[in-house]
Amino acid sequence: MSGTFTKSMARNIFYGGTVFFFLLFLALAFDTNSALPARDNRANLTPSVIAGKKIWETRNCIGCHTLLGEGAYFAPELGNVYKRRGGDFIKAWIKSQPTGAPGRRQMPQFNLSDKELDDIVAFLKYTSEINTAKWPPNIEG
Amino acid sequence: MQYKSQAVAKLYFMAAIGLFAGQVLFGLIMGLQYVVGDFLFPAIPFNVARMVHTNLLIVWLLFGFMGGAYYLVPEESETELFSPKLAVALFWIFLIAGALTIVGYLAVPYATLAQMTGNDLLETMGREFLEQPLPTKLGIVVVALAFLFNITMTVLKGKKTAISMVLLLGLWGLAIFFLFSFYNPSNLVKDKFYWWWVVHLWVEGVWELILGSLLAFVLIKVTGVDREVIEKWLYVIVTLTLVTGIIGTGHHYYWIGAPEYWQWWGSVFSALEPIPFFAMTVFAFNMVNRRRREHPNQAATLWALGTAVMSFLGAGVWGFLHTLAPVNYYTHGTQVTAAHGHMAFYGAYAMVVLTIISYAMPIMRGRAANSNRAQVVEMWSFWLMTVSMVFITLFLTAAGILQVWLQRFSSTPIPFMQAQEQISLFYWLREGTGVLFLVGLVLYIVSFFVSGREKTSAA
Amino acid sequence: MNPGAQNPDPMTVPPTSAYPPGDLAVWVFIFAELLAFGVFFLAYAFTRMRHVELFDAMQGTLDRRAGAVNTVLLITSSFCVARAVRAAEHGASRIGTRWVLAALACGAGFLLVKGAEYADKFGAGISLSTNTFYMFYLSLTFFHFMHVILGMVVLAVLAVQTRRGDYHRGNMNGLESGAAYWHMVDLVWIVLFPLVYVLR
Repeated sequence: MSGTFTKSMARNIFYGGTVFFFLLFLALAFDTNSALPARDNRANLTPSVIAGKKIWETRNCIGCHTLLGEGAYFAPELGNVYKRRGGDFIKAWIKSQPTGAPGRRQMPQFNLSDKELDDIVAFLKYTSEINTAKWPPNIEG
Repeated sequence: MQYKSQAVAKLYFMAAIGLFAGQVLFGLIMGLQYVVGDFLFPAIPFNVARMVHTNLLIVWLLFGFMGGAYYLVPEESETELFSPKLAVALFWIFLIAGALTIVGYLAVPYATLAQMTGNDLLETMGREFLEQPLPTKLGIVVVALAFLFNITMTVLKGKKTAISMVLLLGLWGLAIFFLFSFYNPSNLVKDKFYWWWVVHLWVEGVWELILGSLLAFVLIKVTGVDREVIEKWLYVIVTLTLVTGIIGTGHHYYWIGAPEYWQWWGSVFSALEPIPFFAMTVFAFNMVNRRRREHPNQAATLWALGTAVMSFLGAGVWGFLHTLAPVNYYTHGTQVTAAHGHMAFYGAYAMVVLTIISYAMPIMRGRAANSNRAQVVEMWSFWLMTVSMVFITLFLTAAGILQVWLQRFSSTPIPFMQAQEQISLFYWLREGTGVLFLVGLVLYIVSFFVSGREKTSAA
Repeated sequence: MNPGAQNPDPMTVPPTSAYPPGDLAVWVFIFAELLAFGVFFLAYAFTRMRHVELFDAMQGTLDRRAGAVNTVLLITSSFCVARAVRAAEHGASRIGTRWVLAALACGAGFLLVKGAEYADKFGAGISLSTNTFYMFYLSLTFFHFMHVILGMVVLAVLAVQTRRGDYHRGNMNGLESGAAYWHMVDLVWIVLFPLVYVLR
């Protein structure tokens, strides 16, 4: 290459380019924030849903399951589990854990109260109604 | 060693290797739980093992980065560290806080831990990779700020090189973006949207600055190529990284409720993300080919080249495999993601830390390089771990493709657990290769204790 | 300060800079940017094929006159920048500065026209989420719009440096690099305008 290649130019482009693309990212994030109300099902963020999210978090559910595809890949996707199984099944399932079947993957018993079970179901129902651009591809998650 | 205070790095490196071993052990536990579901249940449920596995990874990489910075910055700035005492104090604070956190994970149920540690005051726990209790998170911030103060003051009183500036920017970015871990809105979409500002902007953003500068530093040392040349390319490569990587965050926004234009923005920019990794590979090999000295530490050179290749494969190629929205629609949240995660983290971050350790540790122990015998053992461990990781990735990729087919793509999709049973063969193979990886790691640790005639020439 | 009076006609003296003009670093950056735009353009063309009717109808809602005016503005500004490089190379810093400022003015004109177009569309409630066409229209033009702003920041710095007499034969790197970047911004628009506004 016969042309010049200077460190100061490379440095200026690094700083300029970084600032530029970060600002672009902020602009897109800003637009996302204003577009979210139409998609994120915030109208249904009831106290029960909020309590349910806290149960989801403090039992570290994400350590085995995925939620909208994010989390661990050890246990089924739960973003659409409300649609797949329904609220009653979910409650019965959580209450009956662990199965104790030898050699099978086990889910801990969390000793949730009836109110807490209602909350977690409310949270999973709210999650299943988020507009996820038709993901997952089918009901199996 | 040119400056006495560089020696604090030794503590950090030893801790990093120790925690690395812990991470691999828990990885093996999880790998076994994939096929023998009730292994160690209920003593260590999978979610606890995973939390320990991923958190140990993050912490040992942070130890490696900090140790790397303590070693690199005085030499680059041509001055002693601002406060070696602070560096040692921070080491113990961070190590003890980290250990307590892991003990907390293992000793009490997570919900109890959350209650004990004030999660009700500010709910930040229970999100992937950010499971740490509030006091630990605050501790990370305090340690990071004090560390940055120490490093920044050192740079300010000494010479400012491109390498130390890029490193400093990466470390500051690391601390700043971690602050988003304290933002946990009830709105799940927003929660996820900003969660990636920690996770993605770390691993595909500021951490790559740290990776680039550590690699550039070692390349200057082992090849003797003109600093001017290496620093120019460092700037060009990290520019490409951020140009593609920042908007590339969009590849996480396809299916979590964010607007659908992210499918385009994310696909376009993350499709370009392999370019900087490819550039880094070409660059590393070029510099080694143009070397102007034969550094006695052949192992460090091997690690440096390995980092360039494996980060390209793991982050570049395996990232590209499933980054385009139409592909990701099927692969999102499957073993394909796990495959990419393993090779990318090992290839980019684990390996760069091992590179700087490999280069700096002998010098801190008073020699330019380890004996031939020790280096041979270290190189064996390099190949064992790296080849194992390639196969772990291949097996997980196979598992992922099958999983996608069985559960999502075929005309008669089957439930998750049924699909898991069908692919268990690949989980067994992965676990076997995982054991081989552990053997490599043991060899790596052994290499520190292999004696033999030391080389004293060069530096 | 270079008095610029004793300069020969810039057009009669052959250029002496190395080829390609400007810094390799800026060319790598330009290459990356063109790749990003290129992939985005391909995505547009591909999506257009699948939604021809929507795209035809929506393209009709764009102000082609504004787009054409902007094309002229950017091409003119590219010309100005090229003249600025020539002038500076021959020691005519003051003339060079004027050409850079002229380019800057054209850029500002572009922003005004484009801003008016945006105001019209946003006023009508159009956003990135309106439909696939507007997603592409706004993404591509806004991405380019930001490049014009960045290019203008670069031009502003170059204007100050040129005025200070930083650039002369033997040191053209900064000015040539900035000029190359500005030509890239122009080039992208020259592809973008027909592709998004005109071609149906």
